[in-house]
Amino acid sequence: MRILVVEDDDIAAEYVRKGLMEAGHVVDLAPDGELGLEMARAADYDALVLDRMLPKRDGLSVLEEMRKDGDATPVLILSALGEVDQKVEGLRAGGDDYLAKPYSFTELLARVEAIGRRSDPTAAVTKLKCGDLEMDLLARTVRRAGKNILLQPREFRLLECLMRNAGRVVTRTMLLEKVWDYHFDPQTNVIDVHISRLRGKIDKEFEEPLLHTVRGAGYRLQV
Amino acid sequence: MRAALVKLYRNTLFRLSLLGAVFFVVALIIALGNVYFLTISSEIRQVDKSLAVEVEEFQTLLDEGGLIPVGKEIFFRSGSGDRHYLLTSRNQDGADMVIGSLGEQVVTLINQEKTIIGEEGDANFTKVDFILVIPATDTEPAAERRMRGLSGYLQIDGKNVAAVVASRDVEVTMRTAERVKNAIFSSSAIALILGLISSWYVSRKFTQRVEAFNHLASDVRAGHLDRRAPRNYSEDEMDLLAEHLNDMLDHIDRLMKAMRYAGDSIAHDLRSPLTRLRTRLETAATEVKDSKAEETLFAAADDADQLLKTFDSVLRIARLEAGERREMLSELDPKMILDDIAELYEPACEDVGLTFTSEIKEGHLVSADRGLISQAVSNLVENAIKYTPEGGAIHLSLLKNKEGRSVISIVDNGPGIPQDSRQRVKERFVRLDVSRSEPGSGLGLALVDAIADLHRASFTLGDGRSSEDGTRPGLAARITFPRVRRQKQSHPAPPLTSV
Repeated sequence: MRILVVEDDDIAAEYVRKGLMEAGHVVDLAPDGELGLEMARAADYDALVLDRMLPKRDGLSVLEEMRKDGDATPVLILSALGEVDQKVEGLRAGGDDYLAKPYSFTELLARVEAIGRRSDPTAAVTKLKCGDLEMDLLARTVRRAGKNILLQPREFRLLECLMRNAGRVVTRTMLLEKVWDYHFDPQTNVIDVHISRLRGKIDKEFEEPLLHTVRGAGYRLQV
Repeated sequence: MRAALVKLYRNTLFRLSLLGAVFFVVALIIALGNVYFLTISSEIRQVDKSLAVEVEEFQTLLDEGGLIPVGKEIFFRSGSGDRHYLLTSRNQDGADMVIGSLGEQVVTLINQEKTIIGEEGDANFTKVDFILVIPATDTEPAAERRMRGLSGYLQIDGKNVAAVVASRDVEVTMRTAERVKNAIFSSSAIALILGLISSWYVSRKFTQRVEAFNHLASDVRAGHLDRRAPRNYSEDEMDLLAEHLNDMLDHIDRLMKAMRYAGDSIAHDLRSPLTRLRTRLETAATEVKDSKAEETLFAAADDADQLLKTFDSVLRIARLEAGERREMLSELDPKMILDDIAELYEPACEDVGLTFTSEIKEGHLVSADRGLISQAVSNLVENAIKYTPEGGAIHLSLLKNKEGRSVISIVDNGPGIPQDSRQRVKERFVRLDVSRSEPGSGLGLALVDAIADLHRASFTLGDGRSSEDGTRPGLAARITFPRVRRQKQSHPAPPLTSV
């Protein structure tokens, strides 16, 4: 993907750039809001990482300006202001996701890839597939290697979230937000417990495991 | 109607101005009463006095010349002007003598009162009020006249020889008296009504202005620091009060903004370097292939995370305490919130060997924010998981208490919290000695307290279920919501029944 990172903190921007490049993306940097808006208008990016507090022009106004122009590039808003109402504000201004500082890079990567993917026109799918694991979103059924797997409603949503991001890391925070709609971090390993139950259902009786734990980041569904 | 009157009467200013009106009416009654006393009543006394003089004259005539001159005198005086008399006597032959205009007329006695007259005060007489009916004549129609008279006996040597009545027509005076009485009554009534109206008006005017202040105070308390008291610039005391209040609010607002700005700046300034620190540690951890160094670096990144979470919680509590999010509360049934929490934590409890049970009843309605309540309950459940030893039990419930208020409780059979520490643990960074070795920031319960406060709910800690061996009292954490004030539904009118 081609990604524009608008961030005034040089060191943080450099790390993000380096990390995203290592993950195989093309990255441009913009140090302030004015330049960020200019660059976003000039080139066609797959995703934007936009800091909220920027010199010259703040992140939200850049975003509003872009949306006014009809630019639908997915945007991940990045900010030190992590309160839920400010998240809502950011999403309302046209952001696709919101990440509060401090974030781990893996969290950032997972979210950028998830929103970049979301703008894919094939997003309205009814069937998801990963290896021999198949999910029918309409019939609400899951099969692996032709065998029916019975899931609880929440387990189904958990697996759906993982399958939609198959091949990429999904963090625990992302799962909490998207599956449970919680915007706070529990202190205990609640997500791990739910993942291990899900794993018991989709991986246990099969030779090749699909649900992998990524150290210090989250989970990945991959063949 | 009754309730409205009670409310009006509770109004201080209404009571005060009503008291003023009542005082005024009393003063008015006294003043008019004085007028009455000085005019009417003294006129009647004047009549009484002249009647007494006349009767004494008759007695003198009797003493000097016997009954005949008295009869003559009465005959002459009778019927002249407003005077009417009656003299009756029985002579030695047993024949009655009746002289005077009253003898031929119909009279109705209204009132009588014994009195003593004469210089020596020895003659017994009776003051009489009566109505004299004057028959119609060619020129005048029949009339009833009110009379004031004096009746008694004329005596010779202590023996009654004749009965005498002397009277005056007091119709005109009595009519005036009635008019004055009516005037007193109607003026007092008018004054009282005007007083009531002015009391009501004054108190309503004043109350409207006081109400504005009350609304302002509750708005500000709810977090709307931009509200100001309305002013009319008349520079009266209420207007000055509004001005001072607004100055005070401006000042508070400035301080709050400065604090929030400082908080946000600190958040921004600290989080950026900490994020870098975290990213560097993370990058380093993935780059080194030495597993021991990797372990250390990941642990360091986790520490940085912990630091930031603590920082985040402090800011979050401060924002909650400022009541910023109160306007985001909506009416909902907490059942769905608790069902989700129960579903999230049940497996985690089982994993660490705890029994998790729940009793979540339907039909509750509270004013709440889903995210905040989820966080508070999640904190309490995690606390219970952290401190309850293996084999213990945790119970989550949503019930109504005796007062009909919705209560969320999380009860465990862990070590509990000693009675004297229960208030203290709700403060920020307070951790009991026994839990110092456990991970945690000491902000969990403070956050729950702040969330409860935002919802105007109470957060209390009590004894839970004691463990089977009786060594642990357990802990019961409860969030008790206030009743949601629903708007009264008007009752439909009863159906009309055909007669």
